[in-house]
Amino acid sequence: MSAVTLAAPPRARRRLPDYTPWLLISPSILLLVALIAFPLLFALKNSFYFWNLQMGPAPMGFIGLDNYKMALSNGMFLGSLWTTLQMTLVGTVVEFCLGLAIALLLLRRLPGIKLTRVLLIMPTTIAPIVVGFLFRYMYDPNGGLIPWLLTSAGIPLPAAGLLGSPSTALWAVLFADIWQWTPFFAIVLYAALLAVPGEIVEAARVDGVSPWKQLLHVKLPLIRKTALIVVMLRFMQIFNTFDLVVVLTKGGPGTASRTLGYSLYQAGMVDFNIGLSSAMTWMMVIIVNAIIGLFVFFAFKDWD
Amino acid sequence: MEGSESATGRWLGIAAMVLLLLVFIGPILWFILLAIRPADTYFAMPPVLSFTPNWESIRYTFFDPGNNAPQLGNSLIVAIGAVALNLPFSFPAAYALSRYKIRGRKHIMLWYLGLLMAPPVAFLIPYSVLASMAGVKGTYFSMILISQTLTIPFSVWLMRSFIDEVPIEIEEAARIDGAGTTTILLKFILPMVMPGLIVTSMFAFVFSWNNAAFPLVLANRSTTTLPVGTLQYFGTAGVTWGFIASAAVAAMIPPMLIFLVLDRYVVRGLTFGSVKG
Repeated sequence: MSAVTLAAPPRARRRLPDYTPWLLISPSILLLVALIAFPLLFALKNSFYFWNLQMGPAPMGFIGLDNYKMALSNGMFLGSLWTTLQMTLVGTVVEFCLGLAIALLLLRRLPGIKLTRVLLIMPTTIAPIVVGFLFRYMYDPNGGLIPWLLTSAGIPLPAAGLLGSPSTALWAVLFADIWQWTPFFAIVLYAALLAVPGEIVEAARVDGVSPWKQLLHVKLPLIRKTALIVVMLRFMQIFNTFDLVVVLTKGGPGTASRTLGYSLYQAGMVDFNIGLSSAMTWMMVIIVNAIIGLFVFFAFKDWD
Repeated sequence: MEGSESATGRWLGIAAMVLLLLVFIGPILWFILLAIRPADTYFAMPPVLSFTPNWESIRYTFFDPGNNAPQLGNSLIVAIGAVALNLPFSFPAAYALSRYKIRGRKHIMLWYLGLLMAPPVAFLIPYSVLASMAGVKGTYFSMILISQTLTIPFSVWLMRSFIDEVPIEIEEAARIDGAGTTTILLKFILPMVMPGLIVTSMFAFVFSWNNAAFPLVLANRSTTTLPVGTLQYFGTAGVTWGFIASAAVAAMIPPMLIFLVLDRYVVRGLTFGSVKG
């Protein structure tokens, strides 16, 4: 190995001229920058204008920071940010813990466990918007499967239905997400745990470490990288949720399930307030970048 | 794992497994049943499990008048178009990021990853307005082009992990024989990573197929895709559940089949190649 490392640099320099990799990479970067920078700059400009498509096809005057002030003053932005953070934190934690428990089950030698593992991923393959339809059907207060099951089990339900009641709407939306993505955690954590060397676990077992502590102090640290990656991906996906909300609750009742993504969608695509939605776009982009930056800093510090 | 598992533990495990299948697969079957139920059993409680299949919904949505049949075609056009357009961009980039130790490689990879975690909704309004200004709103091209913000970063990540596995010796030998980068890419690497390329393309197809955000704002009535087209049945006259289920089931079958075929790559695909699985 060391011989290879020693021999490599001079050969590499001669063989691979410096500009080649950039020629290969730059088309993709240029296209992506165009597809991202263009709309973002367009939104930045619009965020300083009063522009409502219901009143006219063109911007109707420069209003400085008024769109930002409006988004922040009526609680539209901060309220939905808080809703989104609650949903994201609870969702990520629940999906991770359930997924880990299922991964541990999948590791056991049970009849039919292989088929179970293959089938288990099915919810994750469905488009979120279709998952929305599926749950809207199952939540229907007049004969949906979920209210029927809960009522049969003696659990009292809000009269307006699970999606229609302010205290349950957000969690009902989140439940659909949990249903869809827990298998994702289960399958990925299963694969990571499967790769943990048996000798290490065996050594801990011989030393009398309890199964619970084996998991916590031996196995989890060994799959830390994988766990961080999937937690990061899911955290951001839940944070960005909007299509599930479009189908299930439209942010209601009131603002009970209005996620940040949905309030942006509402400002732009329902109320046609391009100026306001552009201001919110920029605030959301900044927040998302800050969170991704934090994750990347912790998850990819020593990554190559 | 341990051989000394008690019989009780074993039965508990089997019970948990059955519960798992009921919770995660049950709702999917329930939705499939909805597509072939007689209308009076949609919301019958307690649930009606035995009924004569009623093909009315499927006939209405796909054959007569067939509202969803063109949407099925649109979904195929957009997803295949997105995958095809992405390859000439992502394959060379994935190769370069796998083989060359350039400065800032890590940051480029993380930049692609960041794009995959960006909020699609933040781009919807600008895309919608810009597309109408450019006169491309409602075209397949606009949807295929915007899909690249997903398919290129995803494909670069996943394909890179496949190219990493191709031994470098063959390339080195070819280079000594005087082959240029283009020749190496097309004549040596491409055939060797073909399986990886196919796996990547199939996953990219699923992600593009399942994306509802871009068609939601870019498509028009005649170019809308199947997952989005299902929204049309939330009419003012009430929700027509049989039609919704019929179209939605059709929308979820292709991704399911692809995931079943790609079973051994599922972990890898879902984590963009960062977990080998």
